Amino acid sequence: MAALAVVLGLVLLTITRAGYVYWIHRKSVRRVARPSSTSTCAVSVFLGSGGHTTEALQLVAGLDGSRYNIRAFIFSAGDSLSVQRASSLSGSATQLIEIPRARRVHQPLSTVPRTFFLSLFGTIRLVVPRAGQTPLGDILLMNGPGTCVVLCACVWIARFVGWPTPRMVYVESFARVTSLSLSGKILSPFVDRFIVQWPQLASRSRFAEHRGWLI
Amino acid sequence: MSPRSAFLTVGATAPFDALLSAVLDDDALRALRDKGYTHLEVQCGKTQLPDLAQVSSAPWHTQRQGVDISLWDFKSSLSEDIKRADLVISHAGSGTIVDVLRLGKALIVVPNTALLHNHQEEVARALHERRHLISCSVPDVARAIRDLDTSSLIPFPAFDGSEFQTILDEEMGFI
Repeated sequence: MAALAVVLGLVLLTITRAGYVYWIHRKSVRRVARPSSTSTCAVSVFLGSGGHTTEALQLVAGLDGSRYNIRAFIFSAGDSLSVQRASSLSGSATQLIEIPRARRVHQPLSTVPRTFFLSLFGTIRLVVPRAGQTPLGDILLMNGPGTCVVLCACVWIARFVGWPTPRMVYVESFARVTSLSLSGKILSPFVDRFIVQWPQLASRSRFAEHRGWLI
Repeated sequence: MSPRSAFLTVGATAPFDALLSAVLDDDALRALRDKGYTHLEVQCGKTQLPDLAQVSSAPWHTQRQGVDISLWDFKSSLSEDIKRADLVISHAGSGTIVDVLRLGKALIVVPNTALLHNHQEEVARALHERRHLISCSVPDVARAIRDLDTSSLIPFPAFDGSEFQTILDEEMGFI
């Protein structure tokens, strides 16, 4: 009986804490102006392979290097091509981080829970702060596919625990004109900025912001 | 009219034999020749067409309907072939579309309707509506070539990273 009460109590606490953390982040105002104009922001970029990698690399290629540095390129296990392609944008301090895939291309959705959790265990180290710094930096940029959901889940676990986390920016692919991708649909309530590139998509999610063609 | 060259690419991910057959058909080849495209470069990918059984990475040359044709299966980069072409006919992969349009080439795009969950059509149709390219179905390729008026195509905007930078600047409090 007492054990049941404890379990229920813990569950309630967890739900309350999760709800509070989520609410705080949804309502969070933009960060205050950076105190020093010389400080740069660290960006980590998830490369989802193929067209996702192409678009992600294009997006960061145009960033002002005096404000943004690329701290890390994160790629899925087995995607060495993305690593090669990122090399021209990688500075000497840029980390290349490999994480397990949440879902292989065309993997049946019924088998995804298992690979999702394996990927989660293999990715959680990315949100554990070291020497007060979060390995993912100030911004985590994602554009699909499924492994982004794992990254996002890890960031929320870190927020739940109270660790510092990056702002998550998701940019839906240029190829998505009238319908959102599956990862986009799942992630839109859970990222800090959900950007779409075509006006027709703005109405597909109340979190979507249409900012035109970014690629 | 100075000799012009066309480039056909079916992509590297999925085969697209229907498009290959349509462009290598006499009708389409005559349309190309009549528009002054006397050379056709073809990236045919993994094809099962019996005619093309001997195609590999080494270009196989032939001539049909007055058009010199060069066929090969894959290359690590298509940018040289795109740059050399005056007209590109392509599958509707968005990466290829953007590459071709940014190189300022006239583009006829053919979505592969045999693909599952095909959202290739979305971007092809949207860009066709904005007149950046011509999108057509496989059976209409010859007609699209014949009716092509490159002067009516609107140039695709160059990459401008400022809006994306603005989004990050907003997040980081720079603005």
